[in-house]
Amino acid sequence: MTVLETTVLETDGDQVRRIEFEAAPTRFARGWHCIGLERTFRDGKPHSITAFGKKLVVFENSSGELNVLDAYCRHMGGDLSQGTIKGDEVACPFHDWRWGGDGRCKQIPYSRRVPMRARTQAWQTMLQDGLVFVWNDPEGNPPIPEQAIPLIEGGPSTPGWTDWAWYETRVETNCREIIDNLVDMAHFFYVHHGFPTYFKNVFEGHTATQLQKGVNRDDMRPAEKKIGAPKRLGNTSAATYYGPSFMIDDLLYHYADGDVKTVLINCHYPIDENSFVLMYGISMERPDDGPEDPEEAAKLTQKLVDTVRLGFEQDVAIWKNKTRIDNPLLCEEDGPVYQLRRWYEQFYTDVADVTPEMTERFEFELDTTKPNEAWRREVDENLARRAQEQDS
Amino acid sequence: MAVRPDNRLADAPMHPVSCQACGASVLARKSSWQQTSVQWSEAAMATCRSWDPGDPFHGRHPACEELRGSIAQAATDGTIPVLESDGGRG
Repeated sequence: MTVLETTVLETDGDQVRRIEFEAAPTRFARGWHCIGLERTFRDGKPHSITAFGKKLVVFENSSGELNVLDAYCRHMGGDLSQGTIKGDEVACPFHDWRWGGDGRCKQIPYSRRVPMRARTQAWQTMLQDGLVFVWNDPEGNPPIPEQAIPLIEGGPSTPGWTDWAWYETRVETNCREIIDNLVDMAHFFYVHHGFPTYFKNVFEGHTATQLQKGVNRDDMRPAEKKIGAPKRLGNTSAATYYGPSFMIDDLLYHYADGDVKTVLINCHYPIDENSFVLMYGISMERPDDGPEDPEEAAKLTQKLVDTVRLGFEQDVAIWKNKTRIDNPLLCEEDGPVYQLRRWYEQFYTDVADVTPEMTERFEFELDTTKPNEAWRREVDENLARRAQEQDS
Repeated sequence: MAVRPDNRLADAPMHPVSCQACGASVLARKSSWQQTSVQWSEAAMATCRSWDPGDPFHGRHPACEELRGSIAQAATDGTIPVLESDGGRG
């Protein structure tokens, strides 16, 4: 066992600290939310997703635009996502009412005219880098131009980069848990078997960034070995959330024979206040001396995203069993959880009520000296014990 | 759903630091010689004259080296406490 010299700071007597939390908000964040790969929705059929506490229908019109509407027909409540696409409209399977991408009923084939107020809720969409985005705003305002998702430098739109290797999975917890990860340096060691050596966060405006450098742990039979991915030495990562749910991570993997440049997308949309759809994808720059065959590069990308999948599964195992906590008790080697949540709060606040504290630049550079000492010791002990076990 | 204050600030708050180059005033805190928190304001961002927007795609991130130096100097001078050093906390 490792004995860590930890200074116990004086507390007010022997009072037990209580975990406090309010129910997760039933309001959903304002901002662009990625709902998946463009190609998923281009099969000529309407698609059903549950997001922002509602059932939605996603359908492609004749000019190739993707539209998103509330799925329930305002006529008699039919589910439009079970219907069919007819021209520019989605037709309800119940009585064939035709709904356009702007949310208006365009025609009722068996009626002389469409009644007044035949309008349903429509969400603005955007297509970029092979991904579909939906703008959510509880106040019903159009997208904020300054909060547009940037085009991805590197990634499938850049020559020489692979297409997205993509995963989607449903997670049964409020999405604040995944946001918290952005500042949680120590969990990378304990949950993901990483070894962060540099860690900094910056929040400003609608963006929140994590800069991280890490080395590989020699004591961990690397998870990537199990899936046949090559052993890596470490990584350098610059990850930024643009708004409440879409992160672009410029992620450099260091291998013995050189670096591999990748872009990792980590994004989600809330299903309701207690669950969300987590999506992530990797695109990789094909190395100059690497496989000429695009298939080979695609396979390698798939292995990389499989490694990421293992990482998220480790998070999910924690989230499944943990409690929501509004008053985390932080030590000085933890990241800026409260300041991150203050930033995140802007997306759950009417635009008129967003305060300067939520958006003003805040920087937090962690001191990894003490954590790295402790972790180095733990790694060395694990290696020594393993050597001993092999000897006996 | 108000966000609570950081428990670490209760007995060791952020301290004002003025940039030696332009006078921009920020709040800073150091829990150790390596750790630094910086709270900018809109006024400070407007005042800053040495802001380097960087080149994030090539690993150079936006920063102000002048301010960084000023905070380090304030820590050395004892203008702002460094918590891990002797008598820093409180």
